[in-house]
Amino acid sequence: MSTTAKYYYPRSLAVIALLGVGLWLALGETRLAWWSALLPVFEWMEGTVFGVIGQTWGAAFASVQAIHLLGMALLGGSVLVADGRLLGLLLTDSSASEVQDQCHRLFVWALVLTIATGIFMACGVAIKVYYLNVFWYKMLALSAGVAFVYGIRRPLLRQGLDTVHPQIIKLVAVASLMLWFTVAATGRWIGFSG
Amino acid sequence: MSANQIIYDLAVWLDTHSQSTALHESFYMYNWIESTHVLALMISLGMLFLIDLRMLGLALPDIPASTLAQRLSLPMLVGFGVMIVTGLMLFYAIPVRTSQSLWFRIKIILLIAAAINAWLFHRRMRAAGTDWDRMQKAPRALQWGAGLSLLFWALIVICGRLIAYDWFDCRTSPIEPIATVAGCLIDQAQF
Repeated sequence: MSTTAKYYYPRSLAVIALLGVGLWLALGETRLAWWSALLPVFEWMEGTVFGVIGQTWGAAFASVQAIHLLGMALLGGSVLVADGRLLGLLLTDSSASEVQDQCHRLFVWALVLTIATGIFMACGVAIKVYYLNVFWYKMLALSAGVAFVYGIRRPLLRQGLDTVHPQIIKLVAVASLMLWFTVAATGRWIGFSG
Repeated sequence: MSANQIIYDLAVWLDTHSQSTALHESFYMYNWIESTHVLALMISLGMLFLIDLRMLGLALPDIPASTLAQRLSLPMLVGFGVMIVTGLMLFYAIPVRTSQSLWFRIKIILLIAAAINAWLFHRRMRAAGTDWDRMQKAPRALQWGAGLSLLFWALIVICGRLIAYDWFDCRTSPIEPIATVAGCLIDQAQF
């Protein structure tokens, strides 16, 4: 049995199990207790400097929204190119591990930008988003995306692509595309809700 | 007849179409189109940003620049195609207000500037050959093109987002010269 099979597959399964527990906590009976406990946090968020700026200056809020979109575009580009390479659809004449490493650097910058601007935006409309189901779906998808990248995708691919079964690589790429598409789509739907 | 009057008349004519009203009033259809328009950003601008950042030496430095530009062009153009189609549909759904939006007009000018910049960029890239392909940064002229492309598209996204806000809508009687630039007419009946 290869090192990958012995160590990284069980690790991936453990992360998937953790995500399942997270989903159960988020969607099961206990969710109301979590949700109620978080209300003071969202009330506090609206009173922060970010919250006050977001509610007072519409132009600032709109500009940050636009930067959030630019961050999403960069994140989308890095995910599409990295996963497109894993699926054998893009940059097939370049080394797959090089593409993964370099796209990951961009992904990190894009993720930091989108999360930072996302926190600002959430502060401006904290109570509104608190009562929106789709906001929590987005948070779930984002948490799953980050856990997937750092708990499954990166550790697995860093070992060298030749040590991982080709079908697993393709499965990872498809899962990654679906996860980040869900993050973007639920984010967009927040704008239409409430 | 002024250009603003012609644009207004055309927008009012589009607004009389039953499909335009149906699209505007359909909650799900309108939102699906708008979501597709925004999500196509992740394909088109995502690819464009990667190409531009590569030219500036800020991303994917080990991949030959012209190879990257060639390979990512197709998905980028597909994304732009989706954005153009959905953008036209969004315009068709709300033609009068959109055609008189200050931000929409700035966005159109920026789109034209970005298209001219892209054309010049490709011309310069062809003229530059491939000697620089493995260098960390592209030649100066291409770097300028990439920088301008990033600037134009960032501004296009900002203007696109601002269209949703009604700060300078004609119904709010904006001050001059904003009213003229937005195309507001003194006796217009529709907004």
